[in-house]
Amino acid sequence: MTAALRIFFFGGITSYRALFHWLTPWILIPTFIVEPIFQVLFFAFVGRDAGVGDDSFYLIGNAVQFAAIPCLFAMGNTIGNERYTQTLGLLLASPARRLPLFLGRALPVIINGFCVSLVVLVLGALVLRVHIPAEAWVPIVGVLVVTSFSCTGLGLATAALALRVRETAVLSNIIIGILIVFCGVNVPLSALPAWMSTISYVLPLTHGIEAARDLAGGASWSAVTGLVATEALIGVVYAALGMAMLFALEVESRRHASLELA
Amino acid sequence: MPVIEVDQLARSYRSGSRFSRGARTEVEAVRGISFEVEPGELFGLLGPNGAGKTTTIKMLITLLLPTGGSARVLGYDVVADPREVRRRIGYVFGGDKGLYERLSGYDNLRYFAELYGVPPREQRQRIAELLDLVGLTGKEGQRVEGYSRGMRQRLHIARGLLHKPDVLFLDEPSIGIDPVGARELRETVAALVSTGTTVLLTTHYMFEDDELCDRIAVIAGGAILAEGTPEQLKSRVADGHVVEIEVFDGVDDRIDAVRAIAGVTSVGVESSDRSQLLVVRTAAAAQVTPAVLAALEGRSLGRVATREPTLEDAYVELVRDA
Repeated sequence: MTAALRIFFFGGITSYRALFHWLTPWILIPTFIVEPIFQVLFFAFVGRDAGVGDDSFYLIGNAVQFAAIPCLFAMGNTIGNERYTQTLGLLLASPARRLPLFLGRALPVIINGFCVSLVVLVLGALVLRVHIPAEAWVPIVGVLVVTSFSCTGLGLATAALALRVRETAVLSNIIIGILIVFCGVNVPLSALPAWMSTISYVLPLTHGIEAARDLAGGASWSAVTGLVATEALIGVVYAALGMAMLFALEVESRRHASLELA
Repeated sequence: MPVIEVDQLARSYRSGSRFSRGARTEVEAVRGISFEVEPGELFGLLGPNGAGKTTTIKMLITLLLPTGGSARVLGYDVVADPREVRRRIGYVFGGDKGLYERLSGYDNLRYFAELYGVPPREQRQRIAELLDLVGLTGKEGQRVEGYSRGMRQRLHIARGLLHKPDVLFLDEPSIGIDPVGARELRETVAALVSTGTTVLLTTHYMFEDDELCDRIAVIAGGAILAEGTPEQLKSRVADGHVVEIEVFDGVDDRIDAVRAIAGVTSVGVESSDRSQLLVVRTAAAAQVTPAVLAALEGRSLGRVATREPTLEDAYVELVRDA
């Protein structure tokens, strides 16, 4: 394995273990299992009471959306917390190539987002007795992977700001709010004002949620490949934007002394 | 060829927020300094807090761009060839931070071994050697959050040496370490230099520089005030001497009177719980002790001693005049 691949895989996992501070059962289980299930139940029961949507609509919307939580916060942590540990200067003073160094951190984050999404979907389906056809599960798993990737791309873009500002969690919270409102998680895009639904098409989640709902409703994989490809493309664009920002902000940090070293 | 060549290096910062009402001011942290470090040399940058030591190191390790002048490390320009510089240098700073708390000491070292491209098959042996060098063998499996400050600092040193750097930058490495730990650290640094590693050390502990360094540059206010061997710096004040008088009931109101005595070059006070130590530095051949004692008449005095100047005295003279 080349040095770059080792930094990508080994370095990525090590950074995730070192810097994502939610990796303790007291935070992990309530945040990634308990809270999402309550959110699914809340919206499903509101939907039932209001007579709009069915349980499947809310279950899939919220389960897919929950991939965004680790993807944004873990990505932010694995770069932003370098500031708090004061290892950011050491990292940037190393000769390691930046592309595998930062992109490798996204890999465990994608897996984390995917696992959260899948667990919420399975548990939510059991609790709410939502029937998802057996043949739909495999393609839905694929959609969850792609959606986790696209959310991590957005996470990388926000995490890059850690090279300039101290606090990225505030921004991640705002973005989560935007994704919930804009991406058709609990409100169909058709019910949103036109400008909001227009924006939703350049955000992660939107196409993934739509694809997962279509698959659960009986659509074939080939029927949703356009949606999945668009979701993946959005992820690539945000990841590229994130890497470009990391490169630019590293240069800026050398010029303007914006890093805290020791 | 010198390992480090610094020529009129300068760095200024803008302070103040662009969003605040206050005017933004330009602060000159380093003002056109020049020095060279030869292969295998241990060179000390000695200066008070805010002197510009860390800013200088940040420029040399490529984390900060100079706003003036130039610097080369091992022949590579720190602005034009940062990656070549980074491959060949190690960097260690003092204090508690700079390690991954949730990881073990071993995992910290392994991660940085990857970042510096240490071949996988060499990593285990190299890490074992370094753990042995810094006395952490047997502790490498513990999470760093359980390490003492001294253990952390030793792990820092091991981290900085993973890739066998040609030049090691040590930025106040002994800060906050207990005397035993600091002594062990100095022994480690001395052992490194004996193996041919070039070291640039910043500190504001005089004895550290005096004990370790081949040459020292005294820096204050962003400028180099003097450069030479510890002996050369000491010789700047060697023809005078130092009178120390322990005073138990306050000396602050007599300092001006002591300072006015002919032959006195500087006066300092070191306070402790029970007393104050008046440190009077004198010019050559000046016999000031009787006059100083007269100026302190009526005060309760303890020990009175005369001694030869140390590097610290030379440093105080230099920095006081800056």
